[in-house]
Amino acid sequence: MDSFINAVVSGMISGSLYAAMALGLTIIYGVSRVFNFGHGIVAVMGAYLVWTALNAAGSTAWFIFGALIALAAMYGFGLLVYRFTINPLLKKPNWEISTVLFMLGGGILLENLLLQAYGPRVKSYPEFLKGTLQFGPIQVSYQEITLFVVVILAIIGLNLFFKYTYTGQAMRSVAQSIPGAKVVGIHIDGIFGLTFGLAFLVTGFSGVLLSTKYFLTPHIGWEWMIKGFVIVAFGGLGSTNGAIFAALILGIVEAIATLYLGAIWVWPIWFAMFLVVLLIRPQGILGGRV
Amino acid sequence: MDESVQKTSAMLEVSQLVGYYADLQVLRGVSLVVNEGEIVALFGPNGHGKSTLLKTISGLHPARGGEVRFNGQPITQMPSHKIIEAGLAYIPEERHLFRDMTVLENLNMGAYNLRARQSRSQNLGFVLSVFPRLAERKDQLCSTLSGGESRMVAIARGLMSEPKMLLVDEPSIGLSPSLRKAVFEAIAKINREKGISILIVEQEIRDALSLASRVYMLKRGNILFERLKAQVDLEEIEKAYF
Repeated sequence: MDSFINAVVSGMISGSLYAAMALGLTIIYGVSRVFNFGHGIVAVMGAYLVWTALNAAGSTAWFIFGALIALAAMYGFGLLVYRFTINPLLKKPNWEISTVLFMLGGGILLENLLLQAYGPRVKSYPEFLKGTLQFGPIQVSYQEITLFVVVILAIIGLNLFFKYTYTGQAMRSVAQSIPGAKVVGIHIDGIFGLTFGLAFLVTGFSGVLLSTKYFLTPHIGWEWMIKGFVIVAFGGLGSTNGAIFAALILGIVEAIATLYLGAIWVWPIWFAMFLVVLLIRPQGILGGRV
Repeated sequence: MDESVQKTSAMLEVSQLVGYYADLQVLRGVSLVVNEGEIVALFGPNGHGKSTLLKTISGLHPARGGEVRFNGQPITQMPSHKIIEAGLAYIPEERHLFRDMTVLENLNMGAYNLRARQSRSQNLGFVLSVFPRLAERKDQLCSTLSGGESRMVAIARGLMSEPKMLLVDEPSIGLSPSLRKAVFEAIAKINREKGISILIVEQEIRDALSLASRVYMLKRGNILFERLKAQVDLEEIEKAYF
């Protein structure tokens, strides 16, 4: 029983990290209907940039400064990717396919650029908090608790942004009705661009969180992305709450399956659940929009 | 009529406008004028270009010839978000509400342009006085509203953009007679109290005539005729529909 409870707790923690990673994917899809097939590499890129800041910085203050620059760079990268690649593609017929192929190709290119820059060896973030919290039967490290809290804060922050800022509201408006958004005077291209910037920032940050718990190579992004795909389809494409919910469920399932059956069973069980959900509720468990 | 006086007070001047719906030419050189503070009705059979005209004026469809001037300024090639900022709002027949947002959130989105944000709370007060029903419904999601209420939100959202002029596309379609009356009264009030010029496309000819001071008949992408209210002959209008 104790090990079951601990599996649930650790599943919630990894689920929260998956949620953070899936958010960027579902935000872009919800607003612009572009499915980012290079999503995992965006997360990896953010993790490498922040890792670079960590290694270059001599003190915590410098590290925080460098990490903020790295995340700002991810935001700028998202804007540029939209402005110079996705935006022209969206103006052509068959943009659904061309954007998918472009992002896939762009992801492979970026993966290999990262491979050239950082080499194939596994990198990892050092443990930043030592010690373990013992609470009844539950055992969980302070580092993991911190990661979980950071994800919750980020999700709350995003929700406030979507609810209370003009830009966030405009993103929701575009997600719900592009003609309606045009009628109230929203510049659709501008909002698409900001959405890519925001999603790349969030995704890059999620890459940092994931590689703090696991590890980092240029190739790990594809595995993260497949997990992200299952999560967003499970939770309902374009729904942020659905993605968070699905990520927590799948994280817990992963931990329990690993505990009782072994890690090799995680993918088969994930995909079996995924197929059942698709058959019963093709729109996902909380099908909806941003 | 004194031509020169009419020219100087024109709020909207459309001349020889050519517009397409997808690849089909729908507008074949449409010209019309709406003066400051005036309500003008646009009649015409379905599929003859009324909605395309409003969408082309408001920048949602590209103009492929001719000119649109709003408040003295050429807006023919302006993107739609700039046109709204200039004070010309379009209220689509399809409404296009944000279904997963509350009524209040929809209204606030109407005030998205930078000019309207300044006066958002005053405009909200006015809009809720025109449509008291919306004040009762303000925290309800738009997906739960009735057809009449959705229409009110669409008009109210357009008003929140602090417009100098409204283009209203078939505001009464699908509404019961009593709701229709309420909507037309609201449009009259908007015009009377705010001096907002209005170009209204309508199938309910008698109702529209009670509001408008002039009418245009649009047929096959051209203006067939223009009449002052006093000159309107209902038979002539009905004949134009066939």
